[in-house]
Amino acid sequence: MRLNDRVFGMLMLILAFGYGWEATQFPEPFGGGESVGPETFPIILSFLLGISAVYLLLKPDPDEAWPASKMLLELSAVALAILVFAWAIEPLGFIPAAIMIVSYLCWRMGAKPKNSLLTGTISSVVMFLIFNNVLELALPLGLLEF
Amino acid sequence: METINLLMQGFAVALTPESIMFAIIGSILGTLIGALPGLGPANGVAILIPLAFSLGLSPTSSLILLTSVYAGAMYGGRISSILLNIPGDEPAMMTCLDGYPMALKGKAAEALAISAIASFIGSLIATIGLVILAPILAKFALKFGPAEYFALFALAFATLGGITGKNQFKTLMAAALGLMIASVGIDISSGVQRYTFNTLELFEGVDFIIAIVGLFAISELLFFIEKHAGDGMKKVAVNRLKLTMKDVIKVLPSSIRGALLGFVAGVLPGAGASLGSFVSYTLEKKIVGANGEFGKGDPRGVAAPEAGNNGAASGALVPMLTLGVPGSGTTAVLLAMLISLNVTPGPMLFQQNADLVWGVIAALFVGNLVLLLLNIPMVGIFVKLLSIPPKYLMPIVTLVASVGIYSVSHSALDLYFMVAFGVVGYILRKVDIPLVPVILGMLLGPEMEKSLRHALVLSDGDWGALFNSGLSIGLWVVAILGLVLPMIIGPIVRSKMKQAKTGD
Repeated sequence: MRLNDRVFGMLMLILAFGYGWEATQFPEPFGGGESVGPETFPIILSFLLGISAVYLLLKPDPDEAWPASKMLLELSAVALAILVFAWAIEPLGFIPAAIMIVSYLCWRMGAKPKNSLLTGTISSVVMFLIFNNVLELALPLGLLEF
Repeated sequence: METINLLMQGFAVALTPESIMFAIIGSILGTLIGALPGLGPANGVAILIPLAFSLGLSPTSSLILLTSVYAGAMYGGRISSILLNIPGDEPAMMTCLDGYPMALKGKAAEALAISAIASFIGSLIATIGLVILAPILAKFALKFGPAEYFALFALAFATLGGITGKNQFKTLMAAALGLMIASVGIDISSGVQRYTFNTLELFEGVDFIIAIVGLFAISELLFFIEKHAGDGMKKVAVNRLKLTMKDVIKVLPSSIRGALLGFVAGVLPGAGASLGSFVSYTLEKKIVGANGEFGKGDPRGVAAPEAGNNGAASGALVPMLTLGVPGSGTTAVLLAMLISLNVTPGPMLFQQNADLVWGVIAALFVGNLVLLLLNIPMVGIFVKLLSIPPKYLMPIVTLVASVGIYSVSHSALDLYFMVAFGVVGYILRKVDIPLVPVILGMLLGPEMEKSLRHALVLSDGDWGALFNSGLSIGLWVVAILGLVLPMIIGPIVRSKMKQAKTGD
């Protein structure tokens, strides 16, 4: 199967068109246009991307296998978990958020739940202490503030 | 003479207690980063940049810290090559060929010690080469006008795939994507908003440090999970070291030859450390001929590629410092740090920031000595750390990377961007698009566009100005060769490398 490169090449071709078209729509800079404006370089880039996208469409390489849909779900869950961690740093505080993400990742990578929780707790507390006391970069305490 | 004076001033910077401390910390961290399979030097340096940044270290200190990490990673790569038969990074691949058989024969400690000495010789000779060559190249580069710079940037992208590059169009595509990301934000010379979609956060453009950490570290995490690689690999036990002076002298010529070849490969665009270690190994095999036991655990087969790989690593700093054009992933990341510290690499660096450049070069000497001293007695500790399974290590590395990004601006939005880049990096790697040109495009985009504009404004819009001088035509010719040659020679070199790996 050589579907990967074809699909990706198609997407990049669309991106090249969109990017190039957008460049032609830039407002004229204040004080009149010069021989090279803000759109010149992007237009060159859209051609570069377009040509290489066409090459991928015409001569695709053999595919690297995509993981099964179960694994894709797993990977999406990991990405989502890091997003939740990012969101939680401020309202919940660094330590709870970090314990959650490290334990979750350890667990998903195959560690036992107990060991995961232990790794998460130790690494989060150590990291917090190092950052706050040694490096003097304040991380939010959140819930633990009181 | 002038160079020696400047270098002495550099040592005055590099030998302050503070600098030595950063060199030691950097060397230890670097060795660890290099030794852990899957982390890799570019990745490791990328994770440390935001930390160095948010700690408010001075440019000199951060550069010393990160160049020691860079040098250390090159040393560390060999540990997993020898003990696990898995290269910590790509250039360390050739070290597996004789290092692992040596370890299987119960000579792991000797292999580690010899490779440490060879690494030291490689870096030492190449750093001397850097001292000699860099000022000359910097002086020469002062002749470059905007047209020449534009051609030089094009050359950097064209040769980035290297002689061994598989699909040149994918390299080009990656470069185009990186340059496109760099064009997001308010255009500096006209004030026009480009691709910001009126989002305030995009006005300043996309921060390349976030992109680097996301593309490298987060995508790596996803790959680890997909491959169920959480348990790590079985490694060979390390014996007690029995190394005599005679053994060391026996590998000296191999190391010196490897170092010189590696340095040349590092300086040349498109060659890089992988080719450096490959050429050193094959040449050594030819020179030693039938007297050697290459592929079965010959110490010279460990020394030559290790010296070559470290020589190339220092050699790669020459184009990065003098021209501002990096030739490898890790030097690209070092360039990212220079730019974020507001230090513009290129010929002017040697005039305006002489103390910084020479301090860093002197720190390379100091760092190498530290690494040699660390690596022989402390190798046992590094080996112990190697046995921590990735299932515990990768989550912690992810945490360190995220905290680094978070502490720069204290905004969760940066972390969302990091995750997005991680997912993009995962997809790009799945379709075999290399990530380094994307990063390089983001870094060089603004400068490249600026030189194009300057050249065209000076010539009043005449595109012929880009090919007006002999120098720029020469650069374009090399760029085109760099793009076309790998399509012809690439398959030959690759099959040779494969042959060497499987044992002919």
